[in-house]
Amino acid sequence: MRPLTDAWRSATSRLILIYGALFAIWCVVLLGVVQWEASRYLSRVVDQMLVARIHYLEGTDARNLPDTVATASAVDVQGFMRVGLFDAHGRRVAGNIARVPDELSEDGTVTSVKAMLVDASRDTPMRARGITRELPDGRRLVVIKDSTTIDGLGAIIRRGLLWGLSLTLIPGVLGGVLIARGPARRIRAIQQAMEPIREGDLSVRLPVSRGGDEVDLLAATVNTTLGEIERLLGEVKGVSDNIAHDLRTPLTRMRTRLYRLQQQFAETPEGDQLEACVAEIDTVLGRFRALLRVSELEDRQRSACFEELDIGAVLRNVHDFYAPLAEDRGQAFEIRLDKLPPLRGDPQLMFEAFANLVGNAIKFTPDGGAVRLVATTDAAGDARIDIADTGPGIPEGEREAVFRRFYRGDETRTKPGCGLGLAIVSAIVRLHGYSLSVGGDEKGAVFSVTCPPVVSS
Amino acid sequence: MPRALVIEDDEVTARDIVAELSAHGLTAEWVANGRDGLTRALADGYDIITLDRMLPGMDGIDIVSALRERRIDTPVLMISALSDVDERVRGLRAGGDDYLTKPFSPDELAARAEVLLRRRRPAANETRLRVADLELDLVRHNALRGGQPLTLLPTEFRLLEFLMRNAGQVVTRQMIFEHVWGFHFDPGTNVIDVHIGRLRRKIDGAGQAPLIRTVRGSGYLLAPAD
Repeated sequence: MRPLTDAWRSATSRLILIYGALFAIWCVVLLGVVQWEASRYLSRVVDQMLVARIHYLEGTDARNLPDTVATASAVDVQGFMRVGLFDAHGRRVAGNIARVPDELSEDGTVTSVKAMLVDASRDTPMRARGITRELPDGRRLVVIKDSTTIDGLGAIIRRGLLWGLSLTLIPGVLGGVLIARGPARRIRAIQQAMEPIREGDLSVRLPVSRGGDEVDLLAATVNTTLGEIERLLGEVKGVSDNIAHDLRTPLTRMRTRLYRLQQQFAETPEGDQLEACVAEIDTVLGRFRALLRVSELEDRQRSACFEELDIGAVLRNVHDFYAPLAEDRGQAFEIRLDKLPPLRGDPQLMFEAFANLVGNAIKFTPDGGAVRLVATTDAAGDARIDIADTGPGIPEGEREAVFRRFYRGDETRTKPGCGLGLAIVSAIVRLHGYSLSVGGDEKGAVFSVTCPPVVSS
Repeated sequence: MPRALVIEDDEVTARDIVAELSAHGLTAEWVANGRDGLTRALADGYDIITLDRMLPGMDGIDIVSALRERRIDTPVLMISALSDVDERVRGLRAGGDDYLTKPFSPDELAARAEVLLRRRRPAANETRLRVADLELDLVRHNALRGGQPLTLLPTEFRLLEFLMRNAGQVVTRQMIFEHVWGFHFDPGTNVIDVHIGRLRRKIDGAGQAPLIRTVRGSGYLLAPAD
């Protein structure tokens, strides 16, 4: 499971970001429409003023027109409305417009233009609205009004938009992040609570706050489900355990009777048959013992015997115990122990786990093969114990399944055993909080147990 | 004749135990209740007590604790349906000498009882063990067969010591594993057989009377040749 460490990955943060983006887009569209409408209105007002002014100038006496234009220009010190009179060749006769702007419409309507003024301080064309009329004597009258007011209004609206966005989006996003931290923290707490459940401890429950919100509702539902799963698993386990438990007594009594008969008929064909029957019952009893052993270990009640664990001594004991068996089968059985970190555990259980793994390695390795028991400290500082053999290996597809109860792979069906050894190993390893993996190839299997060291408090 | 006290509430099991101990030459008396069991164990000098873990009246752990508190050192073989290793540890820590889980085969019970009885005899403190012409010097850590030194690995030495201390007595594979390696679970029988096989090849040389015998369905026995 991926840890929820990045605040931006949480659903709340994403919702806030999406909402913020939509809000910003909506603000831009809204203010864009306002700006457009306002500009259109102002343009219309300016256009009406221009039409009125040119209409007035057109109506004055043609002989006095240059003086009228000059006077109008002279009194317009604020630059409210510029006027220009040009001869038929486009040369300026009067007014404060330097030349006839190219964009002016010949049909007498107002258009946007870039006009050059007579004022020498302005060497760049001025954005403006303008209108022109051709007089009967060929002269041309031009009236323009700059677009400063209209452009200024746009700038004001744009600044308003920026301020509005800053004042809403920045506190909104920051507040959202702060709000998202609460649920993220609770999700992390739930995630941590799930860890032991994932490893098989169904007695753990998820934290539920008093708030009673959606997260609590979900946690409470999961808790109810876990309770039901625990109950059902307990029932199933109880049934199999009870079968194993209850059948042991009659089987033991049967074994006793057969054993006594076998003693009476020793050294006879009947005695041999009876001995074979006793051996079969021993096999069944052994399987029941192993089955109950797995259940016992899975109950996880056995941390009372945990102590400082000398894993090297345990492994040397395992080697000492199995070395004669390997030797009888002509197998090289090597042990290598490096310096290991301090561990905590139950030596009895660890012996049992490694005895199972080594016993399997020897069993599945052909005569003359090799088994290696190697303990090292890995890069993370954990003790790592590898049990490698030169047997047929475990196919990729079976590597998870081999730890299940009663699972027997194709290669192992012909060998004696009941498929419970690795289930016992798995239960012991989990009980200790260690991890178990299987690797290797067709030239042999490698079982690895990784043991995190004791962290000094 | 050694006397045994059987404290067991299940009548069928008790009858099996009494029959098996009697077949091995012990006089066995049965008590079905915990309190009565403690009273009898305190009053009479028994050579061995088999004690069920869960009893009406008084728990087996409490009985063995009470006996040890009163400095009664009669060997106690605890018998229980609780197979968990923690339970074994509790039973042994309370003062039990050995622990057997139900269901058990009566010959296993008899073997364990005899080992406990043998441990009480003064021979248990000897530093030199002898069976026929096989000798084991526990101080000098050497072994001789017919005067010839044997080369034994440490495990083989411990295994031979256990067999010689219980010479003439059947010991099961489980008992061997528990006493020689010190672990309390079922290791599978095959490996113990290999160890015994190797020891046998070392001590029972060619032309010598075999000392280690296999008892079918039970275990092994080290005894002088008949």
